[in-house]
Amino acid sequence: MDANTIERLLAAQGIELAPGRAERLAPGVNALNVKDPVGDALPFEADPTTYVVIRERLK
Amino acid sequence: MSDPAELSLAEARVQLNRGALSPAELEQSCRARIERWQPRINAFVSTSRRNGAAADGPLEGVPLAHKDMFYRAGQVSNCGSKIRKGWVAGETAAVLEHLDAAGALDIGALNMSEFAYGPTGHNDHWGDCCNPWNPAYITGGSSSGSGAAVAARLVFGALGSDTGGSIRLPASACGVTGLKTTWGRVSRHGAMPLSHSLDTIGPLARSAEDCALLLSVIAGHDERDPVTAREPVALNIEQPIRAVAISTGWIEKNAHPEVAKAVLAAAKALKVKLVEVEPPEFDLLSAHCLTVMQAEASAQHANWMRERPRDYSSAVRVRLEAGFAITAAQYLERLRARGAWLERFVSQTLAQADAYLVPTIAVPLPTREQTGPKGGAEMPKLLAEVTRLTRWVNYLGVPSLSVPCGFDSHGLPMGLQLVGRPFSEGILLAAGHAYQRETEWHRRVPALA
Repeated sequence: MDANTIERLLAAQGIELAPGRAERLAPGVNALNVKDPVGDALPFEADPTTYVVIRERLK
Repeated sequence: MSDPAELSLAEARVQLNRGALSPAELEQSCRARIERWQPRINAFVSTSRRNGAAADGPLEGVPLAHKDMFYRAGQVSNCGSKIRKGWVAGETAAVLEHLDAAGALDIGALNMSEFAYGPTGHNDHWGDCCNPWNPAYITGGSSSGSGAAVAARLVFGALGSDTGGSIRLPASACGVTGLKTTWGRVSRHGAMPLSHSLDTIGPLARSAEDCALLLSVIAGHDERDPVTAREPVALNIEQPIRAVAISTGWIEKNAHPEVAKAVLAAAKALKVKLVEVEPPEFDLLSAHCLTVMQAEASAQHANWMRERPRDYSSAVRVRLEAGFAITAAQYLERLRARGAWLERFVSQTLAQADAYLVPTIAVPLPTREQTGPKGGAEMPKLLAEVTRLTRWVNYLGVPSLSVPCGFDSHGLPMGLQLVGRPFSEGILLAAGHAYQRETEWHRRVPALA
């Protein structure tokens, strides 16, 4: 995601950015887009509520 | 007895029960220390007594204080912020209700990072909290005042919150014991929210034994926090430990030599079987934690970010802005994978062990200047190094105990974490207790220059 995209995305949500701030945010935002081998192999039925079921099973 | 405030909570309880000390003497001893230490470390934002007469209970007359984000009906909770400065809470946090019923005294409100959204202890609105071992250095955050006040023996214990390391970082940096609880172990009702999928509450105290005493009072199901589990609170700190998993090669390669040496020596001092395992995917899981944390924190703060963004400090505002650039699909993808990652941690890393041992902070503690507004271009990298080994635990939602394991060449404390299965706080506390029976690091007290 480049700085212009970030600026537009935040503006659409009503978030005001200081000049140059989007450039500063971009590296951190992009660093979160990591390849996840476990996530990629999830069964189609997995959803966020699965976590609590697994937590209960593993205690 | 030289100074009653230097006793552990467990020792103070014994003295109180015997009548060798009165609650008034104990509180006076803490208040005398607060008077001397507060100008140096800025651990408190208020030193007014916050609850009434001590109830008859297991913590009767024990002076505590808590991070300024646990609400008390009719009293101010500033949450380390300008936005909530002077805000009066309408209800009392579940954890404070439990501590009140147990007889604990609440002798003030503790400094914290703004809205619990910072890992160092800097605070533009209330002043930085400073490390009692050397005020030029960070306390760790966001439960900065909790770490500093317990380390300087101003209180016998303090509550903190941990969303990405906010109990364990100050515990390690200040040389105290801190417990990040399982997500769902302790009710968050009446506590300031940051990220509901990650937020946990736990104690910082002088020892694992003291943390166990506090956890036994605050843990349990609460209908007002629907994620709390009905799992019974079984805390036997004398229980045997089967084995501890460790990734020696990773620690030697990635941690600073002083930290690696202290942590590996501590592993031996545990006197349990050590099992070598591949390290968890710290960096990937840490990125997932940040995705969830930033998206949820920004949603929580969305109205204020639109209406009064200039009332946030620059550092917190930047973190909140970043969350608005995370898409809903990206956020939900990370939450969708959370269970599978937890399963992997338990089935692989903990397959033959009760806990996984890793440094809490793998690098030497930075100064406040290095990590503050004047930190320069290196500052983000430094902060990433400080938090590298804590966030992955929050993504998995498992418990982690940080205990002191030595001092670096600058005289600053170092800590290790014991990370366990969901709801295994009792085992972690037992391991910490066993370690603290063999070592003296947790008994060291900073001197007032």
